[in-house]
Amino acid sequence: MTAQALAPVEKKVAQRRIALTGNHAVALAVKMCRPEVIAAYPITPQTPVVEKLAEYVNNGELDAEYIPVESEHSAMSAVIGASAAGARTFTETSSQGLGHMYENLPIAVGMRLPIVMGMAVRTYSAPINVWGDYSDVMSMRELGWIIYIAQSAQEAFDTVIQAYRVAEDSRVHLPAVVAYDGFWTSHVLQPLDVPEDEEEVMRFAPITRSWVRLDVDNPAQLGAVGTPEWYWEVRWQAVEALRESQKVIEEVDEEFGKWFGRRYGLFRTHRTEDAELVVVTYGSLYGLAKKVADRLRQEGVRAGALRLRVIRPWPGDQLKKALEAAEKVFVIDRAINHGAYLQGPMAMELAATLQRPVYSALATIGMRAIDSDMIYEAALKVLKGLWAPNQTYTIGLRGGYE
Amino acid sequence: MRVETVWLGRGGQGIVTATYIVANAAVIDGFYALANPEFGAERRGAPVKAFLTIDKSPIEDQEPVKTPDVVVIFDDKLIDTMRFAIDAVKPGGHVIVNTAKSPEEMKKIIGRNDVYLVLLDAVGIALKHVGLPVPNGPLAGAFSKVMGFPRLESIKTAFETQLGKAVEENFAATKEAYETALVVPPERVEQAAKPKGVISTTSAFLTGPYEIVGWPEVSKAGAVFPGSSLFYATGGWRLEKPVIDHSKCIMCRKCWMYCPDDAVVEAWKEVQGPRGRVFRMKVIDFDYQYCKGCAVCADVCPTGAIKMVREI
Repeated sequence: MTAQALAPVEKKVAQRRIALTGNHAVALAVKMCRPEVIAAYPITPQTPVVEKLAEYVNNGELDAEYIPVESEHSAMSAVIGASAAGARTFTETSSQGLGHMYENLPIAVGMRLPIVMGMAVRTYSAPINVWGDYSDVMSMRELGWIIYIAQSAQEAFDTVIQAYRVAEDSRVHLPAVVAYDGFWTSHVLQPLDVPEDEEEVMRFAPITRSWVRLDVDNPAQLGAVGTPEWYWEVRWQAVEALRESQKVIEEVDEEFGKWFGRRYGLFRTHRTEDAELVVVTYGSLYGLAKKVADRLRQEGVRAGALRLRVIRPWPGDQLKKALEAAEKVFVIDRAINHGAYLQGPMAMELAATLQRPVYSALATIGMRAIDSDMIYEAALKVLKGLWAPNQTYTIGLRGGYE
Repeated sequence: MRVETVWLGRGGQGIVTATYIVANAAVIDGFYALANPEFGAERRGAPVKAFLTIDKSPIEDQEPVKTPDVVVIFDDKLIDTMRFAIDAVKPGGHVIVNTAKSPEEMKKIIGRNDVYLVLLDAVGIALKHVGLPVPNGPLAGAFSKVMGFPRLESIKTAFETQLGKAVEENFAATKEAYETALVVPPERVEQAAKPKGVISTTSAFLTGPYEIVGWPEVSKAGAVFPGSSLFYATGGWRLEKPVIDHSKCIMCRKCWMYCPDDAVVEAWKEVQGPRGRVFRMKVIDFDYQYCKGCAVCADVCPTGAIKMVREI
């Protein structure tokens, strides 16, 4: 929704307002980016994306090779192969599907392939749970992928387009994943603005084909052995590229804003300038964090909210700046970092970034229901000192740490 | 202006689709809308709760609705289990019910005199126009009638986008409901009054007869032990029930074999012979506590002895 984006700048591209679920918004964005090869295996809650894309290909709206692979392992293998051959590619998965393609995820990074993957996030089994939390995407943090987390259908749509442009930029050449709430975004119908003329998307994000790829006229081997004498240097290029990608991500976001009137930044803030308490979270939960901040403001508490959007590369310096004045940083994580000092993965990273204790809580695990009152109560506990920093509390766990 | 609504029904009745259609139509009319169903078991017959918020400004606080302006009930058998939602409707709000019962009877069942009661036989209308007991189109029509939005034309466009098929049929059902839904105004509304209750934020699954224990007591590794399905009285999921004509039954037991829920049973029945002797004979019967009304038995019956009869 437009109100979630930064103030619109000059908007060049004519758009129309439609209503779609997050999944169908992603499918539409992918269609407008014209991938040439799509390989995907359906898994809840991502299924409507790959179904819709299959429909687009089947009815001729999208001229792509659609490979209905037999597993996610094959899906990632196929898009790696196709991307290495120079094609713009797309795949999407969730949860155990990501787990099944795991072996290939770091290969896409090492081969510097600009694959774009969608992810309607879902928790990991067991027990079997098809519902949304961020366990799956959080397990990708160490692989070298660019990781975006979107809040809404509009942002998921916009971010897919941005991701292609970033991934294929010659300063980057890395795979990117666009994650969004399984169900709470993927299956929630909401309004969004999309370009009237689909060509505008291709004008904004043309296929660069600038990456290292297989070419019969200039033969090369990709994915060759990297012995201990060479592996680190080759890999280090990917490390530097991911670091460099932050600039490109910001640049692309800014230009996207000029074209389409919506910008998101590396993270979003709400009334954080003078805040003594900042509630940090990600995904669709941000709307509630903002609501709680507003409610606390009405009660005289200087509260704000912050939403993490690009978590790889980690915008450490920028976060440090945004949060340095806040006395209390309260991170509501939506995935469990099993066995860590803080069980919240983003709380850990923020504590390391700020180099001081943060307040940590887990919520929506396995898509446990939540409302703004529950977040408000938790924020009050932080404010009143009932919750201490350096410990992980729970919001909604029966018998939990509240 | 912000209208918060809750739609209550069962999986397979098109409840999520209904909220998508109304939301989509509202967006066409220039509103902001957010259709956020509570995502439960996603199986036919299981109770479903869907939220739909419509506003003139963007909606970013996506959370369960607690005190709705409107409650839409797809199945009048759900009233008792979902009474908490009826109690939570704001005074002066609307309760829209799919029912074939009389207004007097319904008024008594709903038990509130400070809300608009909107009654329609949505299943009957759907059967007439669509040929399926899916009351979503008619309920969207009734919603439009009492709220004054979205426009009927926009609902039709939304059918095209959301369903992409049977648009004319569904729209005919919407229109009939729009024209015929009965609106019973409240007897009195105290403007300052608050609803009797709030819809608590729970998971869609916390509806069974379980002891809701904390993590230290929950079964280790989530192990499930035999007999747990007995806790689910799945009979409440039915729209239609099987009825058998024993004079046609040849006791082949195909229905018993095919029933996915062990709801076809062999029962003893006392009958009197032609010369007065009383004896017991085996007959096929149904355990309606568990029968989901899937109609597989009626489908496989070689003699047509089993018929499905509408229940709501």
